[in-house]
Amino acid sequence: MSDVPYVELHAHSAFSFLDGASTPLELAAAAAERDYPAFALTDHDGVWGSMEFAHACRGFGVRSITGAELTMVVGPGVLSRGRDPRPRELRARTRTPTPPAGEHVHLTLLVEDATGYRNLCRLLTEAHAHTRDNTGRSAQPPWVTLELVEEHSEGLVCLSGCAGEGAVAGAWERGEPEVGAAMAKRLLGAFGRDRFRIELQRPYWRHDRARNRWLTGLAERLGVPCVATGNVHSHARSRAHLQDALVAVRLRTTLEASEPQRRGNSSSALASPAAMATRFAEHPEAVAETVRLAERLRFDLTEQLDYRYPGSHDPGTDRELAKVCRAKLYERYSGSWLAEAGRRLEEELAVIRHLDLSGFFILHRDLLELAREVAVEVRGPDSARSVLPPGRGRGSSVSSIVCYLTGLSHIDPVESDLFAGRFLNDEVTKMPDIDLDFPRDIREKLIPRVHERYGADRSALVAAFPTYRPRGAVRDLGKALALPPEEIDRVAKVVGFHERSGEIERDVVAAIGAERAGAHGWRALIDLCPEAMGLPRNASQHSGGMVISTRPLVDICPVVPTAMEGRQIVQWDKDSCADAGFLKIDLLGLGMLSAVERCVEEVGRTRGERLDLSRIPLDDPETFESIRAAETTGVFQIESRAQMQMLPRTRPENLDDLTVQVALVRPGPIQGGAVHPYIERRKRLREDPRFEIEYEHPLLEPVLKDTLGTIVYQEQVIEVAMHLAGFSSSQAEGLRRAMSRKRSAVELEKHHADFVAGATARGVPEATAERIWEQIQGFSGFGFPKAHSAAFGLLAYQSAWLRVHRAPEFLCALLNEQPMGFYPPDALVHEAQRRGVRLAGPDANRSRVECHVEAPSHRRTAAPRRRDENRSMSAEIGPSPEEARGGLLVRVGLGYVKGVRKEEMEGLVAQRERDGPYEGIADLASRSGAGRDGLERLAWAGALDDLVLDAPRIDRRYRGSSRGASSGGRRAALWEAGIAGTGVRHEEGTQMALPLEVPGAPSLQPLGDWGKAIADYRSTGMTLGEHPMALMRPSLGPELRRSADLERIEDGAIVEVAGMVVARQRPETAKGIVFMLLEDERGTVNLIVPASVYERHRAVVRASPLVRAKGRLERREGTTNVLVSEVRELEWQEPPPSEGRERQGAAAAGGEPSLPRSRRPRRRPSPPAIARTHARRRLRERAVAELRAVAPTGHSWGRRG
Amino acid sequence: MSPGLRRLYAPRRVKVEVDTEGVPLAVEGVAVGAVREEWLVEDRWWTLRPMWRHYFELVLVDGRDVTVFRDGRGRWYRQQA
Repeated sequence: MSDVPYVELHAHSAFSFLDGASTPLELAAAAAERDYPAFALTDHDGVWGSMEFAHACRGFGVRSITGAELTMVVGPGVLSRGRDPRPRELRARTRTPTPPAGEHVHLTLLVEDATGYRNLCRLLTEAHAHTRDNTGRSAQPPWVTLELVEEHSEGLVCLSGCAGEGAVAGAWERGEPEVGAAMAKRLLGAFGRDRFRIELQRPYWRHDRARNRWLTGLAERLGVPCVATGNVHSHARSRAHLQDALVAVRLRTTLEASEPQRRGNSSSALASPAAMATRFAEHPEAVAETVRLAERLRFDLTEQLDYRYPGSHDPGTDRELAKVCRAKLYERYSGSWLAEAGRRLEEELAVIRHLDLSGFFILHRDLLELAREVAVEVRGPDSARSVLPPGRGRGSSVSSIVCYLTGLSHIDPVESDLFAGRFLNDEVTKMPDIDLDFPRDIREKLIPRVHERYGADRSALVAAFPTYRPRGAVRDLGKALALPPEEIDRVAKVVGFHERSGEIERDVVAAIGAERAGAHGWRALIDLCPEAMGLPRNASQHSGGMVISTRPLVDICPVVPTAMEGRQIVQWDKDSCADAGFLKIDLLGLGMLSAVERCVEEVGRTRGERLDLSRIPLDDPETFESIRAAETTGVFQIESRAQMQMLPRTRPENLDDLTVQVALVRPGPIQGGAVHPYIERRKRLREDPRFEIEYEHPLLEPVLKDTLGTIVYQEQVIEVAMHLAGFSSSQAEGLRRAMSRKRSAVELEKHHADFVAGATARGVPEATAERIWEQIQGFSGFGFPKAHSAAFGLLAYQSAWLRVHRAPEFLCALLNEQPMGFYPPDALVHEAQRRGVRLAGPDANRSRVECHVEAPSHRRTAAPRRRDENRSMSAEIGPSPEEARGGLLVRVGLGYVKGVRKEEMEGLVAQRERDGPYEGIADLASRSGAGRDGLERLAWAGALDDLVLDAPRIDRRYRGSSRGASSGGRRAALWEAGIAGTGVRHEEGTQMALPLEVPGAPSLQPLGDWGKAIADYRSTGMTLGEHPMALMRPSLGPELRRSADLERIEDGAIVEVAGMVVARQRPETAKGIVFMLLEDERGTVNLIVPASVYERHRAVVRASPLVRAKGRLERREGTTNVLVSEVRELEWQEPPPSEGRERQGAAAAGGEPSLPRSRRPRRRPSPPAIARTHARRRLRERAVAELRAVAPTGHSWGRRG
Repeated sequence: MSPGLRRLYAPRRVKVEVDTEGVPLAVEGVAVGAVREEWLVEDRWWTLRPMWRHYFELVLVDGRDVTVFRDGRGRWYRQQA
């Protein structure tokens, strides 16, 4: 190191969150390239990126130094007060929860030894401890007091801080040199001459030399050395502009307005040691000091953490685990299964003992027991859900018999023939993963209970770092560049989710035109966006990963509170936690599991039936028939468009087939070329049961038999490598890892050579080995382990069974668990209506806060007033099989009305249940405590229709028409809600209004179907009434086919279709093809948009909610698609006057009377008739534009389209 | 700019001799006695008029304190700071 003139001791990565423009990996690589022997990462108030940096540095041969730039609040009197003489405990108790008035200043802290690291973690934990105090979702800035720094100085080297905001130099910048000098003296007192340095920086600001002259003078007076630092903010100059823009984003302002806070030039980019020595030519001693100091800072984050989890070193856990498992073994197995299960159990226990992991399994089992307690509390002991297990395993752990016997998995690995090598083998070097799925409500309660059980200082969630994606980058950086908001919005809407950097320019051009895109601000955006991709934007919490430690976690990694009360995260994400050797327990919330439980509960409530899903028949013909017919909307895992295309071709017949099905539509099998051979071979086998699968090599038959010779599961990669090429289990696991997350081409190529050599040594022809390798390599995208597929396949079956046999309750559960799944609520309800499930809109006298299922008796008694017998309920679509089986009806909850306050709706329902139904809107307003805004929103949604006082006031022209009455009711309800006295909210509660009668509404024109559909979408995001496409239909012309018509049209015909976009998908694996799902009033249509068509119509394909498309009809093995050649936005087209008026009738009238119209001989229209036609056209066009604005956005997946 | 208004501290072109590192040796023929400060301004890069200025605050041998800068095109200006 002595040959190198300079070591960087102050650098920020993007983990300084919007004050650093490079990843730790980029910094480490750049440091290695510039021959730095050591390098310190000192992000603001955190070590978020330190583990990643330490490992990256190790890979590059650079020694990492751990540190942080800590924010300290220094009040005016702090320095003159001197050190607080009170005992530490007392000082801690009286620590102020809000920052004391004063300056936020920075200190650079570097870790010298393990004690220093512990102190740094504690300081950082304290700095964040108050950031969520009474702040809701947005965090306040972290800070500590000087006293706290003084208490935690041991093992840390303190540099006096940066040029602008440093504890010492910053004071000089503010014109308070005496404050800076006093601070330096205090810090010297705390850290001593050995561990305190005056920090010199040269950011090329106006007064650099004067400041550094003052600082060196101060250092001389104090008798401490100076040390030079670069305050690096990016690994290369090319990121300097991005660094500027990120500062503006952080300050939520523009580049223009953030000028004083920006760095002012690009000198904060990493320079070489020689360049830094030149920069500090006037301070050679400060440069030399960097090297001397770096020599001392030997703490290694990759090796000195000393983490342990509860039970990890308990010698009794081997015996305890074996005892638990053997006891369960005899309960669950008998006969020949017992011998096989016993053999597998002993094998696994031996591996677990060898890896010293018994405590790991015992800890997981304890957590599951805790979850069981929580589940009883959440579900209630008598609930229909109480028979269900608290959670389920997923992932590769499901293949373990130990997991099965300890309750961590619900799948029998012996019966399902699951291979545990991927999860557990003799040579694993990292902690295995056990993922547990819980219903959301149980998980919410379980997490704080884990904190209680193991201690708040010993357990925390794992962090996650949302990174910049194209859409977010366009929005954030566009705002910083002060680009017009509406143009930013337009561009953001067409930008893809997984956009490649080169495509952003094309998107900008597509959205705002080439001329605008050439303007300077837009050029800057086009340049900046690719640079920002992948940089962390902020810290968040992982979906369920928790770490538990025997030592206080705050000594190992800083812990910070999250936006959700009672939750805290460590400052590392799952990769850093894995690198640190932390035991990470995944307590995941699975929406479908919650939905299934809700459904079971609803079934218990409406039918009095205790449904035990573990006892439903697993070979129900009706269920499998619906799966084979791809009637799987809402079903777990097999509801996507791609799955629906596949199901009629693979035709699953049992759970094993479903297990394959779940795993088949994943990037791994798709890219590995497994899909088509699998489908083809299944078809051949159906046609001829004697059909023999031709394997690439006979050695593959035992491992690929279940999947008909194709590689579908992750572990099949391992097994193929072991069987065909003689890989050891760990060698094969290494191959799987090389193919997964952070795959490296070099590493994969090394496995390639070993694979071919191993296979040929076993007599496999080289060409065959190469072909199989290609399949393996193709698999390197994401794929499921079989164990995971088995667990998900079972849930898929159970949800399909519920959909078939308990349809209203299942739909109700799905609606209550949103957001989840592939389809928005609007599409779910339309699909359910098409198969006869009855739904009704929100109703103040019938709805609960959430959706629920009404049995007929409820409906008879719920509403006291039957003033409006003909009222359509918007949606009660008539007789159905469900009606015949008991007439159950799904009632939309009041909570579905957008913008209402949950507590108001809870109050409304509670009051109704306590004192009886509401007699009118005035009664509702006076009793429920709902405010005017809430009442108006309910009125818009139609929830007050039945409470309208004086129905006859509706214009007599509309009486007798169910549509008129209903729609008029909605307007009258709005009127009454507007004049009724409502409750007034105060801090102490709500002051109820007097129950004064309100005058009835005047004669009002009812909302037409258009108006109602728009009001429905605006207020609840879905309509239960006329489908918008039915309203559009009169304008569409006979050439436009309905979805149901397609079945009758011959393959290859050119068709034109239109509909609302339910989903759009642009899979990475599909070479630019976009798949769209349109919905019209009869069903859905699959569109395949080739890349060339997509390029011509990007904005429409990606963002338009209503489209019309022309293309060739393609029918293959029960699936129908339209291969699109043209696609455009769906517009209203006024039909020819006479014909059109007859066709459209009054159904489409946007607020017009639905009067009968007599037929008239065709004649030249009069000027007033022409004027009326124009007025009507404008009305429709406005209605369509409004519908487009409020229609639900279809879900988008993959490279979002 | 409206008639009657005039920019204050507007930079004026000036002749500066520099050494091999680009550090001024003389301004308008008067030798530089010392460099008091040196700073860099890179701003407005996202606009039509990006700014790149390398400033030097100099003490000339005749005792005057002057501030000069070089722009992105290598032209020198004097500016009253």
